[in-house]
Amino acid sequence: LEHPQNLKCVTHNLRKMICTWDVSSEGRHGQTDFCYTTNDLPPSVCFKTKEKRVEIPVPDSSSTVTITTDSNSGIPFATKEFEIHKKDILFVPLTPRILSLTPDFSTSTLNLKWSDNGLIFPYGLDAIWQIQILRKEATEKVTQVTYYSKLTHEDIILSWNWTSDMPLECTSHYVKIRCYINVTQFVGPKDWSEWSPVGEVPGKDTEPNGSGVFPQDIVVAVGSDLTICCVHEEGQQIKQMTYGPEIYPMIPLSSRSSAIRVLNASASDASGTNAVCTLSEDGTDGAVLFVGYAPDIPENLSCETSNFLVIKCTWKPGRPSGLYGKRRTKYSLFERISGKNVSCKVNEMNRERVCGFPVLADQKTYDFILGVSNPIGQTESSLLVDLTQRVITRSSSTKIRKSSTHLCYFLLSFFSLLVCFKHSRGKSYHTPCYSHNVSIPGGKFSTHTTQLNSLRPYTKYRFRVRCSAADHFWKWSDWSRVEEHTTLEA
Amino acid sequence: MAAADSASATLRRRDLCSRGIRLAGKMRSDVVDLLDTYVERQGLDASASVAAVEGVPVAAVERWDEQTGTQRLLENLAAYRAFRALLAQMLEEQQEQLGEADATLGRALAAVLLQVSAFTYHLEELLRLENRGPPGEEAAVPPMPPPLSLFERKLRGLGVLRELAQWAVRSARDLRQLTKPGPGSGVAPSPAESP
Repeated sequence: LEHPQNLKCVTHNLRKMICTWDVSSEGRHGQTDFCYTTNDLPPSVCFKTKEKRVEIPVPDSSSTVTITTDSNSGIPFATKEFEIHKKDILFVPLTPRILSLTPDFSTSTLNLKWSDNGLIFPYGLDAIWQIQILRKEATEKVTQVTYYSKLTHEDIILSWNWTSDMPLECTSHYVKIRCYINVTQFVGPKDWSEWSPVGEVPGKDTEPNGSGVFPQDIVVAVGSDLTICCVHEEGQQIKQMTYGPEIYPMIPLSSRSSAIRVLNASASDASGTNAVCTLSEDGTDGAVLFVGYAPDIPENLSCETSNFLVIKCTWKPGRPSGLYGKRRTKYSLFERISGKNVSCKVNEMNRERVCGFPVLADQKTYDFILGVSNPIGQTESSLLVDLTQRVITRSSSTKIRKSSTHLCYFLLSFFSLLVCFKHSRGKSYHTPCYSHNVSIPGGKFSTHTTQLNSLRPYTKYRFRVRCSAADHFWKWSDWSRVEEHTTLEA
Repeated sequence: MAAADSASATLRRRDLCSRGIRLAGKMRSDVVDLLDTYVERQGLDASASVAAVEGVPVAAVERWDEQTGTQRLLENLAAYRAFRALLAQMLEEQQEQLGEADATLGRALAAVLLQVSAFTYHLEELLRLENRGPPGEEAAVPPMPPPLSLFERKLRGLGVLRELAQWAVRSARDLRQLTKPGPGSGVAPSPAESP
């Protein structure tokens, strides 16, 4: 006789459960009468079914189930009663469904979106998700990641990013996901859901004209580990793959794609490092990779003005980035108080870095941020400056009127000056700097004179002068041009 | 009077040809030097095979002997106009990619571009001497190449320089051919003169 046996009940949502059974011998039989009582309270609910699978409510404590198999002519010939206790009901969450799997080829990142089906569960349950990334027709597991979330009694779309160690173009990537919900108040056994159907991101090795070397023309930091692949046409063979001058062992990815692994990449030349794939029948394909440094924090940032028209900022750039042209390190000066931003034109080949910022009307204090960025990173340096304390004069032309023992200097300047003269007899300046404090109120290119006394008559002297803002000493200007004069005879 | 004009035109043509031959020789040696610099600075393998590059005139020619002088000049002119555009593009890309980082290569490229431009002008002079004005420029501008990856551009540049070196050799031979008496050197009469 065909007795119903092995009744198992599984719930996916803690409210309904799916019970399945089999019969002792698979003979020919008609329908089945299925009756159950919830929490052992009458009335019993009965119905006929051809399946050996029914969906009934999850009991609070237990249910009694009676299964009667009928013959083809409807005569009952085997009956079995089962007691289902809550602790015997298996809880398995619904199989997750991938909503979207979006590649970002520029960053080799996959974005996975799926619904957590939280609506059917009470608020606050912990959900654990396992995500598998696969390659080679979803046969080779690349990685498995565990992701945690909390259910909120709503269907929430969860999003997760994964960055591949190789360009996504190299070969197809597959993703599947399953979940486990920690229903603490559910007394029965709990298990992982089924794996979701696989999501796929096709690689270039599946496209008819997809051949090429990847990644193409990227910029990476020195020390990076790189995976570079060569995708070729069906039937073509790769003779060798080189990165820079070196030949690398190849890692097969598919029938149309192989990769090499470059560890701890060193800085490339200005024109980049070539990754070359030499193919059968003289085919050559390649890509250029630029390996450089993120910008260093600019040091010794200093700003001054010599004309109250332009503020000249200088700094030390630190280690060269090794990146040039459109990948070079770019600088910009942002002034916080005015909100004004200036991008700096910098020649990456000379070590001195200079940037001009316009002096702003009625603004004495400047709160500068020097922003520095290149494709690998960015940094900044800041400087708060009172411009009146950062004035550097320029020793301008001088005219001399001489007599036997003194000389008069005319200096062009437009603010109060601290003036320093140096004079010598003969070739070298043996006298210490003779400092002469002169203070002139600011004005448009005012001139002033001073007199050097106690010089020897009929003696050739060589003069030069430099000056500095008197109110707040900042720097001496450069020395002026040397003037040679001989004092008159006594 | 006509005989005198013809003799002076021949002398002028021979002079232009011999100067053109010297220019082609100099250009070739400079292009070969530039090739070495280019291969080294671009990190390429000197023996790399470069497929025929679209828009780059091919120096090899069939039945070279049967060409008329005008055909030689016109083919040369078309080629060097194309090379002028290609080199200008290479120089622009060089500036974009490297900025001031590789001034040596930039200067060498600019120098060869200058010679190509000079040689182009030279060819136009020769054609004017044949009472045949050089064709308009628009015909010579090569089509914009499809967007190329950096590596493809590097290979393309290699292909351009290799082909230019070949053209310099061919041009010298073409100009020598023009200076020789005989049918091969003859210049087909321009339409105005056709009987």
